[in-house]
Amino acid sequence: MWGYIKVGSCNPEGVEYRPPTNPISAKLCYYKVNISQPKSLYICPMPQAIKLSELAYEIQETMEARFEGETFWVTAEISDVKKYISTRRCYLKLVERDGNSTNTELRAVFWANYYNEIELFEKKTKQNFADGIEITCEVKVRFHPKYGLNLDVIKIDVAYTLGTIELERQKTLEKLVQENPKHIKLVEGNYITYNNRLPLPIVIQRVALITAPNSDGQRDFKQELEKNKHGYAFSVTEFLTQIQGDNAHQLILEQLQLVYNNKENFDMVAIVRGGGSQTDFKPFEDYELAKTVANFPIPIYTGIGHDRNTSIVDMMAREHKTPTKVAASIIEHNFEFENSIIELKERLNQQVDYILENAKENIQDLKRLVKLASPANIMKKGFAIITIKDKIIIDPKNIQPHTEIDILLQDQIIYTTVTKKEKNAQRTNL
Amino acid sequence: MPKELTYNKAFSELEKLVEQIEDDTIQLDTLAAKVKEANELILYCEDKLRGIENDVKSGSAKLTRGVSSKAKKKGK
Repeated sequence: MWGYIKVGSCNPEGVEYRPPTNPISAKLCYYKVNISQPKSLYICPMPQAIKLSELAYEIQETMEARFEGETFWVTAEISDVKKYISTRRCYLKLVERDGNSTNTELRAVFWANYYNEIELFEKKTKQNFADGIEITCEVKVRFHPKYGLNLDVIKIDVAYTLGTIELERQKTLEKLVQENPKHIKLVEGNYITYNNRLPLPIVIQRVALITAPNSDGQRDFKQELEKNKHGYAFSVTEFLTQIQGDNAHQLILEQLQLVYNNKENFDMVAIVRGGGSQTDFKPFEDYELAKTVANFPIPIYTGIGHDRNTSIVDMMAREHKTPTKVAASIIEHNFEFENSIIELKERLNQQVDYILENAKENIQDLKRLVKLASPANIMKKGFAIITIKDKIIIDPKNIQPHTEIDILLQDQIIYTTVTKKEKNAQRTNL
Repeated sequence: MPKELTYNKAFSELEKLVEQIEDDTIQLDTLAAKVKEANELILYCEDKLRGIENDVKSGSAKLTRGVSSKAKKKGK
C-alpha cells in the first residue's frame, strides 16, 4: 500500500522519492512511501490534505503553462446561448455530439470586446446566433479557480457558417425538387412551382395577410394598400403570428392552414415582415414550409425584408422583397385591369362616334339626292312635265296627235294640242 | 345584367360587346342597347374596384374578425 507525504514534512529513510515533474510545483512535491511497511507506517501514518485553492492554483499554473498565449480554431455546435445585450456578453456551451449523445461539452464566453463577432455573424449569415447551429471559432483556453474551465471566443469564422448554410440550402432545394416532382421544377436556374405558376385573379381585393402583430411589416403593408392613389378598395384579413425565431416556420404553417380552411374567401396570400439587420432568415429555409408554399392553391406573395438574399420560401412563391413592394404590386395589378377596361371604353366610344358620324353623313347624302331629284329642281334646269288631265305622262305611247296636253314649266303651264309625233333622233345628244 | 357578375365575366362580356360594335354589320337599332350594356359593365368594374358596390367588403368583414381572433391566440 502506497501513500504520499509532502516534501519538508519529514525526511524518512528507505522511502521512494518521486522527483517533481514540473519545477513550478516543486514546493508541492511529494514522497511516495510504502505505508504497508512498518517503518514507513511509523514515518507517515496519515494522508496530508491540501487546500482546494492550492490545488486550483496548481491546475491553473499547469494550464497556463500549456495554453498561455495560444489560440485554437474549433468547430462545434453551440447550445445554452445566453446573450446579455446591455453588458455585451454572451455565455454558451460548445458541444460535440456522437449520434444522439454528447461526447464533449465545454463552456465558452464572448466578452464585451468580442461581442461584435456575434453581431457580425448575424448580419452576414442572416441567422440568429442561437442554439443548434454549428460554428467554427477561435478560442483561448482559460482556467479560473472560481469559474473553472472556459473557452474565451475571440473570433467566428463566418465563411464556414455561410458554407454550411449554403450546403444545407442546396440539400433542402434538391430534396424539394426530388420529392415533389409534380409541383416543383428547376428550370434554367429558376424554381417553377405550382404556386408561383397559379394564374392571378384578374383583380386582387381579398387578401390574407400573414405577419407579426404590431410589426413594421404589418403597418407598411396595410398603409400602402389603404393609401393607394386610385382609391381601390381592399379587404385584408390578418393571420397574426410570430414570424422570427426557432419555431416560426411551424407557426407560419399553422396560419397557412387557417387560410387554407377559408380558401374561397381569398384572392391571394401575403407573407410579410419588416426588414432590419437583425432579421432571421432561417424559418424561410425550412423544408416543410417551402413545400407547403409551393403546393398552396392560392397565389402567395412574399415580402420578408431581404433586399440581397432570396430565401427558399421566396423561390417557391412570388417574391417582392418588402411589405410595401408586395402591396404596390397588388395595386399595380388592379391598375392594369382598370387600364384594360378604360381601353375598351375608349374603343367603344370611338366606334360609337364613328357609327353615328357615318349615319349622319349617309342621311346628308340621301337628303342631297332627294333634293336633286325633286321635279322643282329639274324644272329649274329647263325641263318640263307633260300631263294629260292632271296625270303625269312618262310613256309617249299615251300621246297621240290631236291629244290635248298640258306642259308644266317652272312658272307657267302651256295648254296645247299635239299636231305631230315622231321618233327623237337626237336623243343621245341631249 | 346577371346577378352573380364577376370581374372575369364583366370583362369578357365587355370585350365581346366592343367587338360586336366594331363590326361594320352592326344594326343601328341594336347599337343603343349594346352601348348601354357595355357602359353598365364598365360602371360595374369601376365601382367594384373602389368598393362602392361593397359586397366584397361586407362579405368578408365577419370573417376578418372571426379568423383574426383565432389567429392571435394561436400565434402567441
